[in-house]
Amino acid sequence: MNELHYLIAVIIVMGLSTYFTRLIPFVLFSPGRESSLLNYVAKSTPPMVMMILVVYMLKDVNYYSFELIYTFLSLAITIGLHVYKRNALLSIVVGTTVYMCFVQM
Amino acid sequence: MVRTAIKISLPIMFGFVPLGIAFGLLFQDLGYPWYFASIMGIIVYAGAAQFMAIGFLSAGLGVVEIAMSTFFLNSRHMFYGLSFLERFGNWNLRKLYLIFGMTDETYALLTTIQVPDSYVKERYYLYITLFAQFYWVLGCTIGALLADILTFNTNGMEFAATALFIVLLIEQWIMVRRLLPFIVGFISSIIALVIFTDHMLLVAIMLSIISIVFMRLTKVDHHE
Repeated sequence: MNELHYLIAVIIVMGLSTYFTRLIPFVLFSPGRESSLLNYVAKSTPPMVMMILVVYMLKDVNYYSFELIYTFLSLAITIGLHVYKRNALLSIVVGTTVYMCFVQM
Repeated sequence: MVRTAIKISLPIMFGFVPLGIAFGLLFQDLGYPWYFASIMGIIVYAGAAQFMAIGFLSAGLGVVEIAMSTFFLNSRHMFYGLSFLERFGNWNLRKLYLIFGMTDETYALLTTIQVPDSYVKERYYLYITLFAQFYWVLGCTIGALLADILTFNTNGMEFAATALFIVLLIEQWIMVRRLLPFIVGFISSIIALVIFTDHMLLVAIMLSIISIVFMRLTKVDHHE
């Protein structure tokens, strides 16, 4: 197989595969059919997923280094600023800038 | 509505553009024409899977293995749709696109924002999803194009994703005000992290949903 054909095949297959994972719930569960359990799961999923994503992002922090300190410092700044101002963009930009300064120091 | 959508999706831009640039830079190392980085951002549109693809492509892995790995890596998205069964409206092209655009970041943002009453919800979602993908494709393209001349030090920019998720976590707390899902999510993460480090995200999401279903069912049993 030609190099470019291979790349194009990979892109199409990955696109379909990714789309398939995102489509499944919509095909399996038709809306309108009220299920209190499904409703409950749908409502509880966002906070659970958000919690999991945060832990996931932090799981590779090296716990015996300076990285731990500046990671949590940047997090604290992001959280503090967000609680204080509730401006998502501001919290993210300031937190990330502080983190980048530490990393590149 | 478009302007509000841009404003509300800007945090995603901060995550997607640098991440996309990083992808584009790495992708260029494979030696394909630059525009394939953009095409991947348009057709595949999945951050982790695209980074994984760089490894696959350089190893020349078979298409079937790639399809299966991609499916497994992205299978957490199966649970994301549950929150949008009602909210994406009727079946039409727009809904098909909204489903296509369900990345971690768009899921996190769409489940957290309040849609103003005067807006048509599905259209507002559509704009946000479109802008998010635009930022991603933009990043991929810039990275691939500037592979040789880019000198800006993007080290540490990956923290933007962490910051986005923590901000949305706070917003979820303000909206939900029930401790249980947060605790279940946290404990599931820790268990998944200890047992299955490699597929932590998927395992943790499955575990948390199974736990919450189990808790709900046993509670119902108790009352009846």
